[in-house]
This record gives sequence, C-alpha cells and structure tokens, in this order.
Amino acid sequence: MKIIKTGIAGTLESSDVMITVRSNSGKGIKINLQSTVKKQFGKQIIKVTNNLLKELSVEDALIQINDIGALDCTIEARLAAALYRGAEQSEYDWEKI
Amino acid sequence: MDDYQINAEFIEKPDSGAMLEITNLLKENDLTFETDIDETLLIRIGDSLAATGSISGNILKCIAVKKEYKNINLTGSIMTNLINREYQKGNTDFFLFTKPKNKGIFLQLGFSPVYEVKNSVVLMENNPLGLDNYLKELKKESRSKLDITGKAASIVVNCNPITNGHLYLIEKAADECDVLHLFVVSEDRSLFPMKVRYQLVKEATSHINNLVLHKGSNYIISNATFPSYFIKESKQIIDIHARLDLGLFSEIIAPALGITARFAGDEPLCPVTSNYNRLMKEILPKHGIDFHIIKRFETDGEPVSASRVRKCLLKRDFSSIKKIVPSATYNFLASSEGEKIIEKLKKAGK
Amino acid sequence: MAKLRRTMLYVPGNNAGMVKDAHIYRSDSVMFDLEDSVSIDEKDSARFLVYKALTTLDYGEIETVVRINSIESGFGKEDIKAMVRAKPNVIRLPKTEKAEDIYEVESLIEKEEKNEGYSIGTIKLMAAIESPLGVLNALSIATSSKRLIGIAIGAEDYVTCLKTSRSEDGIELLFARSQLVNAARAAGIYALDTVYSDLSNEEGFIKEIKLIKQLGFDGKSVINPRQIEPVHRIFTPTEDEITFAKKVIEGIKTAKSNKSGVIAVEGKMVDKPIVERAERILELAKSSGVLEAGKESEND
Repeated sequence: MKIIKTGIAGTLESSDVMITVRSNSGKGIKINLQSTVKKQFGKQIIKVTNNLLKELSVEDALIQINDIGALDCTIEARLAAALYRGAEQSEYDWEKI
Repeated sequence: MDDYQINAEFIEKPDSGAMLEITNLLKENDLTFETDIDETLLIRIGDSLAATGSISGNILKCIAVKKEYKNINLTGSIMTNLINREYQKGNTDFFLFTKPKNKGIFLQLGFSPVYEVKNSVVLMENNPLGLDNYLKELKKESRSKLDITGKAASIVVNCNPITNGHLYLIEKAADECDVLHLFVVSEDRSLFPMKVRYQLVKEATSHINNLVLHKGSNYIISNATFPSYFIKESKQIIDIHARLDLGLFSEIIAPALGITARFAGDEPLCPVTSNYNRLMKEILPKHGIDFHIIKRFETDGEPVSASRVRKCLLKRDFSSIKKIVPSATYNFLASSEGEKIIEKLKKAGK
Repeated sequence: MAKLRRTMLYVPGNNAGMVKDAHIYRSDSVMFDLEDSVSIDEKDSARFLVYKALTTLDYGEIETVVRINSIESGFGKEDIKAMVRAKPNVIRLPKTEKAEDIYEVESLIEKEEKNEGYSIGTIKLMAAIESPLGVLNALSIATSSKRLIGIAIGAEDYVTCLKTSRSEDGIELLFARSQLVNAARAAGIYALDTVYSDLSNEEGFIKEIKLIKQLGFDGKSVINPRQIEPVHRIFTPTEDEITFAKKVIEGIKTAKSNKSGVIAVEGKMVDKPIVERAERILELAKSSGVLEAGKESEND
C-alpha cells in the first residue's frame, strides 16, 4: 500500500486516538507517538502499529499517533482508516485488518 | 457513555446573542474574539455554551472551555472538529495560537511548538515535521551557494508586483554581502497571486549571482506568524505578532542559513510596513541580527513602490509603468494574464 | 429460555468510547450504528471501528446488532462484507419498504457467509420499518426471510412521511405500531418499538413503555443507558402476575392428573389463552432473573 496523500482518522476524545499518515516516499516508516498513557503502553502501541503496517505492506509513511487512551483494536481501526484514506484506496482487505 | 446531550456546530457569522456567549466564554479564559475569523465552532451542552474554537484560514484560535466542563475532555472534541474541518478544506498543515500556560494541553493533542513569545503567545503546528521540513527545503535551495563563506544577509519581500524600487533594494543588499537570501511572502492575500509574484521576482533577479530565492512559506510573515500584517489589529496585538514573526526568523530560520543581517527598504507610505520596520529595528539586533534600512529608490520625486504601479495600472498608464518596473513585470502586465489582474483591481476598487 | 429483547442500546458506530463500553450497561442487545449517527465522511472509519471491536472485544451474553447503511446509499455492500466477517448476532437493515429489500440483503449476506465458510443463516436479520409503504408491507417484510428475528419501527421518518409529528400520547403511531406487532406475531418474530429521544421527560418515557408493552411489543430501542432500567422494570412481570401464573400452571397440572376438563383459578375460568399467557409470564420472569429457572415446579 502506497501513501500518496495525508490521511487522517479518529478523534481526540477519551478512549480514542487520532492518527495522521503522510507520504514518505522511499524513506521508510517513521512513527511519532503522543499518548496520555505513553509510559505504560507506548511500546505496545508502536508494536500494534508496526504489525498492521506490515500486514498492509506499507513501506513508506510518516505516522503521527495522538492517543487519548484507546484500546489496541481502536488504534488498529483508526490506523487502517487513515492508511486507506492516505492511499486513496477503497478496496478493503478485511482479512488483514 | 455520558448523560450530556452534546451538540457541536460551526457558524460563520455569530448573531449578537451567540457573539455575547462566545465573548463571555473567551473572557473567562482571558481571551478575546479576533476579527479575522472564518468560522466558529460552538459546543453546547443542553442550552449552555460549553466550549468554542475558531478557524482563520489555516489557523486555529480562540479556543476555550467553560470552567464547569473542564473535566470531560471537551478540548478533545473541539480540536477533533476543528482539525477535521481543516482537512475537509484541504489544509493538511495548520497552526494554532495559545497561551504558554496551555501549551501542555495541545502537546498532548499532538501539536508541536513552533515558537513561543515569553508570557504572551505560542505558535504550534499539527505537523511535527513542518518547521523541520521548511528548514531542510531552505538549505536545499541554498545548496549552490553553500561553499561561499562570508556574510549572509536576507530580505523579505511581498512584491505585489516587483518594481525597480524592490530591485534597487535587492541589488544594493546583494552588493553588501556574500550571499543574499531573498524570501517572497507566500500568503495569498495580495492582488497578485503568490505564483505570479514569485515568478516575476525570479525573472527580475536572475542576473544577481549571489542571490538565493526562497518562499516565505508558513513561517515568515504569514497568516500564522504575523496575522496582523494582513488585517487591522490593535497596536498591542501587532506588537506580539511582530515579536513572534521576528523571533522565529532570527532564532530559528536565520541560524539555519547562517544569516546575520536583514535589509529592508524605508517605508514612507504604508503604515503597516513602516511599523514593521520600526519593530525590526528594535527586535532583530537583540537576537544578533544586524538591521539595515536602505532609502527608497525614487523617480520624478516620488518613491517607486508597488502601490504606485497599481495606481497606474488602474488608469492603464502603461508608459509610466514601463519606467518603474523590470521588463519581467512589464511583459506580464501587458499580457492577457495582466489584463485579468487589472479586472480584479477594478472590481476591488468599486 | 426465550431470548429477551426488551432493550436495544443504540451506539454511534464512530464513537470509540461508547463502542468500547457498550456492554457495561446490561441492555439485552447493543446496536452499533453505521447509518444515521455517522456522517458521510466517517462511514469508512466507523466501519473499521465496529469491525475491530466485534472481532476483538467480548460483549459476553449481550446480543450484538449492527445497523448497516442501505444498499442504495452506496455504503451498504461494503458494510455487509465487513460485518458478516465480524460476525455480530444480527444485522439490522434500515428503511425497509418491501420484501425485495430483504431478499437483496439476504443474498449478499449469504454470499459472504459462503466466502467465510459459515453455515448459511448464521447471521440473523432485523428490519427497521420507517415509512408508510413499509408499514403497509409489514407482513410481507416480516415473513420474507428465515433469518428475520424481528421487525422494528423507526418513528421519526415515518411521522414526517405522514405529514405529522410525534406527540406525547403517540396517537399518530397507533396504527403503525399495531400493524407491526400484528405482522410480527403472524410471522412468529419479535416486535421492537422506536426510540424515545426526550431524555429529560422521564414521565413521558414511562408512559410510552407502558403503552408499547400493552400493545404487545417485546421491547424498545434506547439511546441512553439511563433508559435501560425503566424498560426492564416495566417489562418484568410483577409478583402478583407471577403468583397468578404459577397458580394457573399448577391448576392445569392438577386438572390433568384428575382428568378433569375445566379448571378455575381465583374464581376465573382458565382456558387456553390464559395458560399460554401464564407460560409466557413465567418465561419472561425467568429470563429477567426474577424467577429462578425450574423454581415454578418446586412443588412437584
């Protein structure tokens, strides 16, 4: 999956996360995490993010995560939405999400 | 799940009732409603205005939450609404103004500080790499001149459009330094569109060998760094904005390019620019940037300025224009593209 | 035990906090909404959120329902694709007007069930009827599919179509409600009432619950956790009702063993409908937890 424009999904409300993905052609993945629970869950959030990026074969992207205490499944859902939006794709591969 | 019935809506022009609610809520938070606002978000809980935030172009401001609702993360709701609105409008990079004491809240919500004026205002941006990318871009544009050692100077121009007056200033400054960085204001609020202004400057200065041309982008005299350059504001607000714009320039942008001086033309006519000159004179040296004013180039006993060109343009006085602009500008004005600008100018005059 | 569907808690599908906590209020069902509560721009994001929640979180005993978008909206097909995979108990179709609407959705669901290797009919269906045409076609809708477990009335659009608005006593909905309950009973499925949106009017809400219970509905959609308790309370049989029902069942047993044809309880002649009603009350009492399963036969 190739990110061609900025995609954003989610909210900054409690238990949610806002994720912005930007293109980063040929320069790999860069994740910027801001979280209300970074100390306890920062590593886990990064892990969840990297797993989904791998599943969806995203190789280059700048990912900004603003977490307000979201569950892992919420992070995955918002990340998937942001990635599909950033890739301008609407053929969803549900098996991988 | 909560018991509140929360209702969020955007309005363009608040009626007097809504305006009173907004100003009261802002006042409670030590803020005022500013004049250049496109849209205002109202979040109501029941009938009471619980939170508000406003959009001005790519700037979010006048953000406030009522005291009794501070514990339910309404800031998150406001910011979600404002951010989504910016994206809907196609703005992927945007900014916000807040007080230094509220910086932490917006850091939590993913905004990065761009520049802080102590005890008064912080400019923050949603793209954590926004400023970094701009600095990288500036360095990239300067690549061909990087091996030149010696004095690097700068000028910031709007050039609406470029005249022989601008050119005189630029050539003079270029003579007095080893590399001249010329920044063209990017904000599209002038008669001549950014693209045209930039292109004409590029053509008119192509003969100056030690010049590097840059775009002012969001970080130099923009709606973000210096909104009161474009709208009428009180003296106090202009002062804060100028400190922001000039602080950011001299502490972050100038060091990235090794710039140690800034030139400007003296401004006998435009009050906004002459005030900006006064502030530059006061502020820049404090940050270690030398400031030089160069006397305006004159013909027929009158300073050559863009406003003089626009006046002639309105009268279609091309022979006068020819005498005071570079050939790039003249050729453009005489073309069909120039005709469109004249139409626009006439409409604006009515 | 009969499945209780007294309350179906409405959860906006793009609200992460509510989706996460939907089950903690103990409604009989939760309905994740992908339709009216989600703006056009957020349809994709809400679909991802509900999909991930259903495939990850454990909602326990609570029945999960997803209200999808109509096929005409352009979002319905993808909703079905994702939701069949996510496997809620029920998919709720909005704005159903005729049996054909159900056939179309049913064939799409069946296709996805085959793709996923589920047995055909795994995903149940519920149809919301929200227009005069739908109300008039209630019976053909109610009998259109074996998957259909219930029909629900959506009042806001309906009353607008009727050129009226909702009133306190709900007189304008009387025909539609009655028609729906009749259709549901004829088809042997559940009948569910519309939402009551004035959260501040508790008295009006209680009046409406009593009304729809009296009309024969099985339950009601609720928009706020606060509304769950009153509905459960009113739908739970009273002690008097339970005592009477027990006596009826006892009486029948005694009559059977005595080979006597006619019985009376508290001076009232007991015939078949009364026995059936007594059975239903005991069933409801057991499901609601006010009567322990097996307890009514403790005198055996």
